Amino acid sequence: MSLNKIDAARGWRIRSTQDLAAGLFMIVLAGLALFLSRDLATGTLRQIGPGMLPKAFAWICAGLGALLAFNSLRYNGDKLAGWSWRGVIFVLGAAVVFGLTIRGFEIGPLKVPQLGMLVSGPLVVLISGLAAEDVRLKELVIFAIAMTTGCALLFKYALGLPIPLAPWLLGI
Amino acid sequence: MKTLALGLAAALALALPAQAQSKYPERPITMIVPFAAGGPTDIIARIVSENMSKTLGQQIVVENVAGAGGTTGITRAVTAAPDGYTIAMGHLGTFSAAPATYPGLKYDPINGMQTIGLAGGTPILIVAKKAFAPKDLKEFVAYVKANSDKVNEAHAGVGSVSWTTCTLLKGQLGVPKLNSVAYRGTGPALNDLVSGQVDFMCDQIVSVAEQIKAGTIKAYAVASAERSPALPDVPTTKEAGLPEYQIEAWNGIAAPKGLPKEAVDKLVDALDKALNDETVKKRLLDLGTVLPTKEERTPAGFAALIKRDADKLSPVLSAAPKQ
Amino acid sequence: MTEMFANLSLGFGVALTLKNIALCFVGCLVGTLIGVLPGVGPIATIAMLLPITFGLDPVGALIMLAGIYYGAQYGGSTTAILVNIPGEATAVVTTLDGHQMAKQGRAGVALGTAAIGSFVAGCFATLIIAALGAPLTKLALLFGPAEYFSLMVMGLCFAVVLARGSILKAFCMIMLGLLLSTVGTDLETGQERMTFGFPPLSDGIDFAVLAMGVFGFAEVLRNLENPETRDVVRTKIGRLLPSWEDIKQSIAPCLRGTFIGGTLGILPGNGAVLGPFASYTIEKKLAKDPSRFGRGAIEGVAGPESANNAGAQTAFIPLLTLGIPPNAVMALMVGAMTIHGIIPGPQVMTKNPDLFWGMIASMWIGNLMLLIINLPLVGVWVKLLQVPYRLMFPAILIFCSIGIYSVNNQPVDVAFTALFGLFGYLLIKLGFEPAPMLLGFVLGKLMEEKLRQALIISRGSFMTFIERPISAGLLLVAVAILVIALLPSMSKKRDEVFTE
Repeated sequence: MSLNKIDAARGWRIRSTQDLAAGLFMIVLAGLALFLSRDLATGTLRQIGPGMLPKAFAWICAGLGALLAFNSLRYNGDKLAGWSWRGVIFVLGAAVVFGLTIRGFEIGPLKVPQLGMLVSGPLVVLISGLAAEDVRLKELVIFAIAMTTGCALLFKYALGLPIPLAPWLLGI
Repeated sequence: MKTLALGLAAALALALPAQAQSKYPERPITMIVPFAAGGPTDIIARIVSENMSKTLGQQIVVENVAGAGGTTGITRAVTAAPDGYTIAMGHLGTFSAAPATYPGLKYDPINGMQTIGLAGGTPILIVAKKAFAPKDLKEFVAYVKANSDKVNEAHAGVGSVSWTTCTLLKGQLGVPKLNSVAYRGTGPALNDLVSGQVDFMCDQIVSVAEQIKAGTIKAYAVASAERSPALPDVPTTKEAGLPEYQIEAWNGIAAPKGLPKEAVDKLVDALDKALNDETVKKRLLDLGTVLPTKEERTPAGFAALIKRDADKLSPVLSAAPKQ
Repeated sequence: MTEMFANLSLGFGVALTLKNIALCFVGCLVGTLIGVLPGVGPIATIAMLLPITFGLDPVGALIMLAGIYYGAQYGGSTTAILVNIPGEATAVVTTLDGHQMAKQGRAGVALGTAAIGSFVAGCFATLIIAALGAPLTKLALLFGPAEYFSLMVMGLCFAVVLARGSILKAFCMIMLGLLLSTVGTDLETGQERMTFGFPPLSDGIDFAVLAMGVFGFAEVLRNLENPETRDVVRTKIGRLLPSWEDIKQSIAPCLRGTFIGGTLGILPGNGAVLGPFASYTIEKKLAKDPSRFGRGAIEGVAGPESANNAGAQTAFIPLLTLGIPPNAVMALMVGAMTIHGIIPGPQVMTKNPDLFWGMIASMWIGNLMLLIINLPLVGVWVKLLQVPYRLMFPAILIFCSIGIYSVNNQPVDVAFTALFGLFGYLLIKLGFEPAPMLLGFVLGKLMEEKLRQALIISRGSFMTFIERPISAGLLLVAVAILVIALLPSMSKKRDEVFTE
């Protein structure tokens, strides 16, 4: 049930940091799920409660994770590869910015007005575009404007979707 | 460049003091439907709003904001700016049942919003699988009470109209702990009722009428004051011997509290005109909808209806077994 | 037989008016063009385009909507192949080998195979519906909660075969998918589960949000990290259409896929979602060299795509004959019919024969249109791959953002997608494959619902799953799949197959 039987050498040491991390990841997620579902009734087979399946799945996840971590000590496998923050920050950040600005939001003292697609659209393209190593700013700005215009025409006018364009400026 | 300048000028003209004395409505109105496109509430919203747009002279854009039994969409609508550009089409569940069903509800349907008026009532039917033993409603009541451990009731999920109305029925029959089988929506529940996996359910006429006409399921009664023209052979609960079970799944329009009187009046008037329009009337009647009375088309009348049904439902729903 | 031809000729009489052909064409075209946007799947496309059919007559509106549906479905497969983003659950399988083919410069062949496979499947499915539609509804009524639960268990066993890497990690992903599917309000009691008390989570995790995150966004992150792999896509472009050799290789998978997908599609409760997975499993099992799967095997596109399309079409059977929608797309169709004053029910066939048979005839016409529209478009799509990646991924991002926002008009969904993008990136780093997780997620909700329904009806007796013959049969198949996958004598071969 595992990889590379030939490499199943004697002696215990970490032979695959990737598998070990994956196993621990599963155990942590299962732990989180068990914590979150601690107050849910398990119920009986006659009347299964809301907690029975989440807890059962979480325990199985934890078991599989433990097996995976255990196997990482016995079988050789891949190493953990490096992590690139540049993509994570710009690409995912761009999507979050879109979500926050398209209709506006309020978190405590922080208040962003409803900016609409005419602002959120270029923001997504510009911010995410910065993630590429070969980014060309001028090209990106033109592209952002073109994409937003295209999307506004397509989604708002051709398809008539109720997506706000620029409520602060145009009222729609 | 010229067009851009023109556009900016126009936008400024709109944004500047002109707004203070402008006539409502001067831009499209958003009607939030708190359910997915294509559902019963969405259909009524689209039929009514199309005609209201004509009266108001501005497009009403239907925006489907689904989630949490419709409470997500209503929350967004009634907490929006009270300028008349955001209104909502809610129903029995979101306005009358929600306070008892969702403890953390972020709006108050009785005191926290401006009602506009009722758009239509949808009769509720008690239906059962074809082979279910009881022949009529009286037998049904007796049978369910006597065999409460054997009977299976189906519903379309906690918070749905079918769950709400059936919970009321079970509460009135004194069998709140009857075996109840939850489905994700009316479709799958109806499927298992037709194939005889479950025994009975309560749901809106638009969902079950065709099955009753085809004879794949049978109807015991309609929980309205009068028989429905769509199913003239089905008796009312009053005629069939369970007069206290009276409930309708209505749909109605509400807006944020603090709406200017001008906007309220215009919306009420537009709704009334829509409901008097022959095409709208016919389309609503085809769906089995009961047209609202003159009284129910007013903000006060609609508010009274919400209050009445909330009072009827909340004791039963709060007591419903949720484990 | 003669009756069937009389019915079909009535149908073609309705569908072949100039207006209806035009509506079908426009529907297919618009559906393809919207469905091809990354982040916009068939459900989103139909929900978006539903209002534009309101002004038409009922038959025309439904023909157009059906066209939009086929177009969107095919458009979804296109994005799965080109940019590895499945628009819906059934396109997940297409990403496995389709996107690999695109990376090898065979995007045109993959797209062509998908189009031709879908057309063949569509032709057969139309005939099946016309000939057997009414009797087949009985099959749908044989399936109660117990049978569905067993079907879902069987479906989960397919996921094991989907795995490209370690089988243990595939199990992990399936269970994680099941776990994620339990997030949200409990159907039975209305209690919130694992939502952190956060209202947007109370309806659970949306499939589009999860799939776009772990496939779309995570794929963008992976590509940004490895400039070499992403450039392969645009430097080498082979032939645009499948060669005779490719077609010969795809015929058998295509026919098998049609049969499997068509059969599962008839079941209400979204059996169609299993079609592509089942087809992929079978093709991989039948192949002489299963190791090609996951590395651009053409059978891995032809089979599942045919199954997908056949299932998409036979899913109309429960709607048209029972009046009960089997999945979310069909529920939208119910809405569309109701708005036009036709309330679906068991009597649609007898009360509105022109609508019923017109729609069936238009299914075939729609499939033909798809082929006509898409074969020339293959060249355009492949050209799109030549857009430099530094511009391509911002475009993917803006489409994904708008698409996801538009599904529920909820801005928070976009932020969630980003979160799942991070999650997907983490999975890549840990060597997990997301496809089994998505299958687990899709089946998890149904599985729990059906398990609980079956046990309430049986008053807590597990025997219900064994006493009912169909359920017992399905469980036997599930056990057989698992045994084959895990048998020690097989595991040696499996190691070769699954180790990269």
